[in-house]
Amino acid sequence: MRYNKKKMKKVHILGLLFIAVVIAALISLMGDLSTYDSIESARKKEGKFVHLIAKIDLSEPVVYDPLKDPNLLTFTAVDSLGFTTKVIYKNAKPTDFEKSQRIVMKGSMVGETFECKEIVLKCPSKYKDEQGMQEKKLRTVSQLRK
Amino acid sequence: MIKFTGEHLLIGQIGNFITLLIFCSSLVAAFSFYKATVSKEILEEKPWLKLGKISFIISAISVVALFLTLYLIIYNHYFEYKYAHQHSKRSLDMQYLLSCFWEGQEGSFMLWGFWNAVLGVFLIKTAKKWTSPVMVSMSLVQFFLASFLVGIYLFDVRIGANPFVLMRNEFPDAPVFQDPEYLTKYLTDGNGLNILLQNYWMVIHPPVLFLGFSSTVVPYAFAVAGFWKKDLVGWVRPTMPWALFSAGMLGLGIMMGAAWAYESLTFGGYWAWDPVENASMVPWLLLVAGIHTLLIFQHTGHSLKASFIFISLAFILELYATFLTRTGVLGDTSVHSFTGEGSTLYWHLILMIFLFIALPVVVYVINRKQIPVNNKEESMNSREFWMFVGSLLLMISGVYIIVLTSLPFFNKLFGTNWAIGKDVEYVYNRIMVMVAMIIGLLTATVQYLKYKNTTRKYIWGKLAIPVIIAFVISLLITLFGDVSFDKYGMGFLVAIHMAIWTAVYAVVANAMYFITVLKGKMKAAGSSIAHFGFGLMLVGILISSSKKELVSENRTGLAIPGLKDAKGRDENPLENMTLIHNIPTPMGDYVVTYLGDSTEPKNNKVYFKIDFSKIDTVKNTTEHFMITPNAFMVKSEEGTQLSSNPGSKHYLSNDIFVYITSWLNTDNVKDTASFRNVPIKNGDTVYYSNGFVLVNKVLNANKNDNKDLPLVDSAWLSELTVMSKEGQATQVTPAFFVKDGQPTFKTDTVMQQNLILGLQRAENGTVQLAIKESSSVMRYITLKAYKFPWINLLWLGTVIMVIGFMISMYFRIKSKLYVA
Repeated sequence: MRYNKKKMKKVHILGLLFIAVVIAALISLMGDLSTYDSIESARKKEGKFVHLIAKIDLSEPVVYDPLKDPNLLTFTAVDSLGFTTKVIYKNAKPTDFEKSQRIVMKGSMVGETFECKEIVLKCPSKYKDEQGMQEKKLRTVSQLRK
Repeated sequence: MIKFTGEHLLIGQIGNFITLLIFCSSLVAAFSFYKATVSKEILEEKPWLKLGKISFIISAISVVALFLTLYLIIYNHYFEYKYAHQHSKRSLDMQYLLSCFWEGQEGSFMLWGFWNAVLGVFLIKTAKKWTSPVMVSMSLVQFFLASFLVGIYLFDVRIGANPFVLMRNEFPDAPVFQDPEYLTKYLTDGNGLNILLQNYWMVIHPPVLFLGFSSTVVPYAFAVAGFWKKDLVGWVRPTMPWALFSAGMLGLGIMMGAAWAYESLTFGGYWAWDPVENASMVPWLLLVAGIHTLLIFQHTGHSLKASFIFISLAFILELYATFLTRTGVLGDTSVHSFTGEGSTLYWHLILMIFLFIALPVVVYVINRKQIPVNNKEESMNSREFWMFVGSLLLMISGVYIIVLTSLPFFNKLFGTNWAIGKDVEYVYNRIMVMVAMIIGLLTATVQYLKYKNTTRKYIWGKLAIPVIIAFVISLLITLFGDVSFDKYGMGFLVAIHMAIWTAVYAVVANAMYFITVLKGKMKAAGSSIAHFGFGLMLVGILISSSKKELVSENRTGLAIPGLKDAKGRDENPLENMTLIHNIPTPMGDYVVTYLGDSTEPKNNKVYFKIDFSKIDTVKNTTEHFMITPNAFMVKSEEGTQLSSNPGSKHYLSNDIFVYITSWLNTDNVKDTASFRNVPIKNGDTVYYSNGFVLVNKVLNANKNDNKDLPLVDSAWLSELTVMSKEGQATQVTPAFFVKDGQPTFKTDTVMQQNLILGLQRAENGTVQLAIKESSSVMRYITLKAYKFPWINLLWLGTVIMVIGFMISMYFRIKSKLYVA
């Protein structure tokens, strides 16, 4: 016991070392963090990598022509504050794209357009428990048959 | 009050009764086992123990009955029940009826409850003196799981989600439910199962995963029981085989999920650091760390505290994982979209987590002075020192992963809006490659160390051969393996190579240990087999990820290294390729042709036939095979959508993997372009947007003056040449026939030019060329294709690792030393 108090055990030194490593890893991570932004605030930090939460503006065309370029999708997004932006996504159009209620886009503003690297869709079809959708469906079914 | 016809209400009432029965009996069981644990005298303890056992067995039987009840509802398509309506439909294949269970929240809690009941009954039979304290935790878990299912109202707050609710009670305002015959008229079919879950892995992966998942409570229960009963050492022995079982099953379940992701998700891989994956992996890391510290304690008396902490944390993190993935707090970050059941489940799970944190904390604090500590310092040459280092590393990597995964939850707590930036996978991979490197090294070397102390001579004597063999193999991989993943620069590539070296070393050293030190004796072989498997997994992960190859690399225009491509795009390669029907297109090492598609009408599944040929420099086909990816056509108000399933060609050393990203179904497209009619005669030229059509010859033939035409009345034939701007010439022969006064057209198409050509007869009897430019003439698909090398090493390694866990467990149960 007494011996132990004089000198730190290797395990303790090791522990401190590991904690230092974790802190270093987390600090290095800070550089890779980005933020969720609105279209307006993303415009303010042009070129910076951000996450946008928005909806697809279906009143504007969604253009994807795999014959011309299978890696180009362009559309207009509108966020909850009502701001809109053109979006370029250099990949195939995701399944259920038009059906999605909300999209999370990762990318950065380049000039007036948002260059999107990744899109995550929030689709009602996957949220099977969404009661509103269910009810809507039932209402339409009953209208059709009556 | 409307009297509804055709409903099957009895079965739902039975289900509700059973749920309440589980709820009550597990509560009685928890209380009885508690009383049995705290009673001082055997006479007092016995009746409580008996009551506890009986109550738990009642709840266990009820869970099985509950399972059957819900299964009958799904099996018989009773769509008046919300669960059946939401998760099933009539056309669903039998084997997927089980998958309907785990698609919904209620079914997964039920599955968890099922395994918890099975494990609990098993413990009642085997845990002997530990039965009552251990069963307190088990019964509490059972109670909480039942509470997720009761769906009763407590002061206007609904507790839990009941799987037996009726559609008409959930949506009372929907007009269909004004009709007493709604069931036969409207609710004739269900919504069906999410097509991603219609995969055979989804039938077996959830049960195995949940077995691993639910079994993490057993080591936890023993740890708490040990401290509670002040037997601070005794709990270690019975915990060991359970921890091994749990780690084996959880590992297997996670990797089955990876196999499912690999085969049916379209993100092109088996692991994407998705929150759902991370959340199940972190408890596994803690459990494995705990197994190692328990071993250290058994052999040296060190690390008891660490073992207690790791084992408790494994289960607590399992609960936290449930919280993260089930309550919707992850929101936008997960591709696995789980429902948020709303705030009740949120608080419900938080309550459960706090209770299960409180238990170990309380018993630990009470006993903190009595915990045996071995103050003799570990030697640097001892097995336990380095095993502890490894365990610590596993825990720390777990912390790193769970902190990152929890970011959305932290945002919610602290009102921040942080997210992992550009490259989620790299943020994890760059740390994990370091972890893999050290773990590989430890996995190999530490096997050769002895507990307490090892002489240098022994270490080097035994390690020399495996080091040399591993060095040679690794060197060969580095020199000739063509691992040149430089997307993140040299540093990361070097790290990958170093990790491959240590992983190979782990494989070789553990194989050699089994042969030279254990001499093939199975009794102690579990660990070297498990570590051998783990090493193989590491090798498989490192090589398959860093050598993953995009086959459908699309560079439109000339690709000159260092220069932007023709369209001025800086990041290359782009991943999607469009294939036009019957037109061979070069793609990677292959020439690929879209030969056609066929539809399975029963479930709207389309199979695409895609031909892959490898052609050598002298135009000989050296290899030839067909890949048939498929896709579900999901019809909805917004039109038909595609939900793609990859197709693959498996080789021993690599997989080619193809999936459809876009498909134009010609049947569905309304052709908006119309024909343009131009009068023609021999030698005319007709222009279109991308070139011109040369009229070489027009022929008119009549039955009366041409005896070659017995079948039709008259015919107009043409020979045309389509010249595109690019200078491509195509011969076409559209025609026009009249039979019995009815015209028939033989149109001809030039795919590459989006051109349809036909002949028409004008009012005045002259011939016209009908010309249409349309995108709908093309049958085409857009796809992505990848090549995954050596992925089989990962699967093989997983199986071997799990076998290793099971061997260790088996011999620990058999050896008298470890019986409770």
